[in-house]
Amino acid sequence: MGEITVTINGSQLSGSEGMTILEAAQENGIDIPTLCHRPELTPIGACRICVVEVEGSRTLVGSCHTPITQGMVIYTHSPKVLETRKVIVELLLASHCGSCFMCDKANVCELRRIAADLEVGLPRFRVRKRYYPIEDVSPYIVRDLTKCILCRRCVRACNEIKKARVFGIAYRGFDSKVVVDFDQPIDKDVCQDCDVCISFCPTGALSRVKKLGEEKKGKALVISS
Amino acid sequence: MPEKWIVLRNCGVIDPKRITTYLDRDGFKALKKALAEMPPEQIIEEIKVSGLRGRGGAGFPCGLKWELARKAQGDEKYVICNADEGEVGTFKDRYILERDPFTLIEAMAIAGYAIGAKRGYIYLRAEYHHLLDLLGKAISQAREKGFLDHFEIAIHEGAGSYICGEESALMESIEGKRGEVRYRPPFPPSRGLWGKPTIINNVETLMNIPQVILNGAHWFNQIGTERSKGTKVFSVSGDVKKPGVYELVLGSQLRELVMDLALAEKVKIIQVGGATGRIIPYDMIDTPLSFETILGAGAITVFDESRDIIDIVHRTIEFLAEECCGKCAPCREGTEVMAEILERFSCGEGVERDIGVLEELSNAMMLSSLCGLGQAAPNPVVDSLQYFRSAYESRIRKN
Repeated sequence: MGEITVTINGSQLSGSEGMTILEAAQENGIDIPTLCHRPELTPIGACRICVVEVEGSRTLVGSCHTPITQGMVIYTHSPKVLETRKVIVELLLASHCGSCFMCDKANVCELRRIAADLEVGLPRFRVRKRYYPIEDVSPYIVRDLTKCILCRRCVRACNEIKKARVFGIAYRGFDSKVVVDFDQPIDKDVCQDCDVCISFCPTGALSRVKKLGEEKKGKALVISS
Repeated sequence: MPEKWIVLRNCGVIDPKRITTYLDRDGFKALKKALAEMPPEQIIEEIKVSGLRGRGGAGFPCGLKWELARKAQGDEKYVICNADEGEVGTFKDRYILERDPFTLIEAMAIAGYAIGAKRGYIYLRAEYHHLLDLLGKAISQAREKGFLDHFEIAIHEGAGSYICGEESALMESIEGKRGEVRYRPPFPPSRGLWGKPTIINNVETLMNIPQVILNGAHWFNQIGTERSKGTKVFSVSGDVKKPGVYELVLGSQLRELVMDLALAEKVKIIQVGGATGRIIPYDMIDTPLSFETILGAGAITVFDESRDIIDIVHRTIEFLAEECCGKCAPCREGTEVMAEILERFSCGEGVERDIGVLEELSNAMMLSSLCGLGQAAPNPVVDSLQYFRSAYESRIRKN
């Protein structure tokens, strides 16, 4: 593995060959927000939250999947990058159901955390909201796809970690949807009690089947500013 | 600059069902010359010197693409001909395939030899199903004549998706997966179809190859402008008296094509390059058509004074929202938001701040989308806001 020198936000840093921009930044204590990416899963570059500016590139590039090259000059928090990230988060919020105060994931929702970090307020876009009926046929998992932001972490977790390949993507564009079989509610025949996808879901779209009173167990949640 | 037939030289002259008529027109001479006299590196050098650039819209230098694939490590390599021709208002590839499938086959065989590929695919648009038989017969005739001993060509039919004309989605489609884009790098010449080095060329790009091989790079290099060599085949449609396919030397004026050849009158708006292309007003009709200025895949849609710009942009964005693959957030959500805003403008319900929102959104989509569709989807919005801003302002709700 050869050493590669890159410049991130003005400082010269080194990384090894094959490393992504995100990995090189993280290794040097620079935080780039990510949503669809998890280090345990193969990158897909779907959410575009982690875009950064690279000198000589016409567009911004996804840091979770772009490998570093010798001499690359990278800006992870330039005005252009921050503006773009904000619009993307605003877009995701605009079609999201928005009933956070009733959502189990409210205080641990990654979309909300990123929105707060980037100071994104109420979205200006008046786009339609996604709505799907809750799927609660399975004794192991409840899917509320109204809250899905199509990061596909569940799809990859199921494919790559559990190797069960339960999920797929159907339909196109705005109507894209994570589906099981021919868009049937998930049931115990296709999915067993493994929880892998649930632990990867950044929002409240996937959750365990709740037992009565369970929410009152454990430590109280505190909303951090 | 005049019309000139390099790509279309055999169209309407040969019988696309009989290879002998093609052989009478110097058919497969370039392939014979390449195989007998030219090592692969020399062919690539020739293409590089010719200055031939991709005709599918992006304009990537063809020779460079081939060289990257030639040098890439791989036990197997592939040549793909992109005959998906999904861009709105283009029909040049169909015209070519209907009339001269043999030149394409010859070019693919040369490309295969040049990069070291043994297999090629023609990715045929679903709507061009009627050409399947003609192409298949052309390939088998070429095989019977012994021109395809070193190279095998298969036809893969698309299933009707616009995004599958995008090279990475096209490869996913051939692999039998959902037609969705991949992130790059790695680019196809290093890791493409099934992870192997692959070149993907538009039909029209490949049609130039045999002529470049036969006449030499220098001959080709003399035609066109400084950075746009050769000719371009245009598909002209819309409010014109003579819609159709025209081949012009690159650098020719839009006026010559639209007014003199296609006989348009009272032109108001011209969309160059289809749904993701540029929209320009009549004032700019003296713009030369080249990679330096505007070109795209050569779709020219003409709108006369009876047409409304907001309707055109709204319909275009609705189309793109429909055809977006849904993988990346800015394109999936952004096209939908744009369609919503434009729908309100089209019925006079716009709000003043929408214009600023459109501009900001366009900027973010262009900068962050995963593929060319999302990056170019805001083009019609940006251009119309630049040249026809008053049309938007007049649709802002009063009171």
